[in-house]
Amino acid sequence: MSKEFKGWEIPEDVVKIREEIRTMVIRGAGKIARAGASALAEAAKAFNGSDVEDFLRYMMAVGEYVKSARPTAVSLPNAVAYVLNRLRKARPSSLGEAVNLVIRSADEFITYSKNSVKIIGELGARRIANGDVVMTHCHSTVAVSVIATAHKHGKVNKVFVKETRPRMQGLITAKALADAGLDVILIPDSSVRYFMKKVNKVVVGADTIAANGAVINKVGTSVVALAAKEARVRTYVAAETYKFSPLTVVGELVPIEIRSPEEVVSKEWLESNPNVRIFNPAFDVTPPEYIDAIITEKGVIPPQAAILILMEEYGLNISDLLTHMVELREDELRE
Amino acid sequence: MVTCSPFKRVSSLVTQLRNGAILGSTEASLKVLNEIKDASRECTLKEFRKYLQEAVPSFIEGRPTSILMRNLVRKYLEQILRAGKEGGFRSVVEKTPETVDSIVKEVEEVKKAVVEVGSRRLSDGATLMIHSYSSTVIRLVMKAFEEGKKFKVFVTESRPIGEGRITASVLGRAGLDVTLIVDSAVRYVMKRVTDVLFSADAVAANGAVINKVGTSVVALAAKEARVRTYVVAGTYKFGLETVFGELVEGMVLNDASLIMHPEQATELAGKVLVRAPLFDVTPPEYIDAIITEVGVVAPQAIPLVIKEKYGWPPKVARVNDLLKEVVGIE
Repeated sequence: MSKEFKGWEIPEDVVKIREEIRTMVIRGAGKIARAGASALAEAAKAFNGSDVEDFLRYMMAVGEYVKSARPTAVSLPNAVAYVLNRLRKARPSSLGEAVNLVIRSADEFITYSKNSVKIIGELGARRIANGDVVMTHCHSTVAVSVIATAHKHGKVNKVFVKETRPRMQGLITAKALADAGLDVILIPDSSVRYFMKKVNKVVVGADTIAANGAVINKVGTSVVALAAKEARVRTYVAAETYKFSPLTVVGELVPIEIRSPEEVVSKEWLESNPNVRIFNPAFDVTPPEYIDAIITEKGVIPPQAAILILMEEYGLNISDLLTHMVELREDELRE
Repeated sequence: MVTCSPFKRVSSLVTQLRNGAILGSTEASLKVLNEIKDASRECTLKEFRKYLQEAVPSFIEGRPTSILMRNLVRKYLEQILRAGKEGGFRSVVEKTPETVDSIVKEVEEVKKAVVEVGSRRLSDGATLMIHSYSSTVIRLVMKAFEEGKKFKVFVTESRPIGEGRITASVLGRAGLDVTLIVDSAVRYVMKRVTDVLFSADAVAANGAVINKVGTSVVALAAKEARVRTYVVAGTYKFGLETVFGELVEGMVLNDASLIMHPEQATELAGKVLVRAPLFDVTPPEYIDAIITEVGVVAPQAIPLVIKEKYGWPPKVARVNDLLKEVVGIE
């Protein structure tokens, strides 16, 4: 089913992708970003008007619609911006040129994103020493890439994977790492401190990285980082540069998504316990002082140097960012 | 051939102790005492002798972290030994029910005193965080609530058993403002919390607290956020004979069904190991005070309390030696 959004008809394929992002069928910041880019390409192909100016307005609306799927991961708006900024700056003269530009930019982003996973895997593996025991939280394609690459280089055999309640993404990670040949030990989240003394390195992914180097990732990440800090275990965050949030440069806080109680307990449990509230934040914030380094496709940086990445990617043009921010504000008014 | 029913229940009770099915350490310990009482009534003299010899050590091994169980069984054996020395093994059997009853009553009184002391410690308007399930902690919070103090309570789910859901359910039904969170959200909400409360399976002589896994994570997050952490534990939970290090390795389960659904377990079978410890150790520096029936004490002052009650160094008979003596009575 197609859908109307701000006066434009959003094609069925795009509605479907957005829905899959929203309901976490597509999950993980990298996959969400790539899905967002491909949604724009689909939208461009499905445009049935004839006017270039209309197309530009249509694509901006599609961009907003896609971005509104989930509020916390910045990779999605960054992927959309990657494609649409190229469209905006190119000022295409014909519709065909404009459509091709969107499709090409989306492809470019997807290729870039996939290559980044490999590069980060290699860079991250270098930070891992022979015989290290690793712990990871949730499911992150880049974190898995780092651990699996380190295993390929003969450095790591044993990895502790946290179950990651409530959605149990730890099971996906456990399977991926077991398939890569590692000895995987699956543990409950509550035993993070119990096992930390047997661990040498923590490797996690990120949903969003703020200008001050704070890392927003699946709830529980800050607990792992805290327990690691206490045990003097090094903590690395693996993240592509499009997970850095430009808006935080101008002081914006990253909104944390609060998800449904039914992810934590069953509907029956809720009904029989009407007085108990469930608070289910999807993410938490790990302060930069608990992170030893962020591994990006452009190099390994201390978290405090996050601003460096943001300046490289977006320049430090505050007025640009502020205009961009006004656009995004509207996104936050979700249905 | 043993035929009395308490004997037949031994192996299932040991399993329940081992896999954490009996939630609180007080419940587990009282359950064991009451089983001994039933055995003294329903089993023959010969059977009861065998019961003491075989079943009792297996209960203690079933929950090795429970100092309460060890201490209560020791108390029972010391008292029953005196009776036995006077009246023979027949008197051991006859005196068991009243001895057990008096110990159970004493535990109840200790609990009441702990609740009394602890509820005073909670101030109006506080936001509490509770980990796991403890009947003493629940009663303490309820008492303060019934006295008209208002507070908010966060309860952690407390995986792998998930007994936090029971705590939340009980407090919710009683009309408290309760919010359940996953264990991973503990640091996220900690900045809204004023006091952390939990119970203990054991308190070591150095003030380290052994309790349900995740307790040390909550305490660490509380320390980071400068939130006060209280342990609610009667002095029966003080470890007299053993000084616990971080090496409490007992009770690590590897049952995949604790973490995942059967179909997921099948998919990952043979590929992934599951390790689920039931207890962890919270170091004394993360604990602000231990609430006991003799008052609120700093964890580092535990030896002082032990000295008051048992002398220094504490003179304690080993449970196994006592058992041998009791069983050896003609």
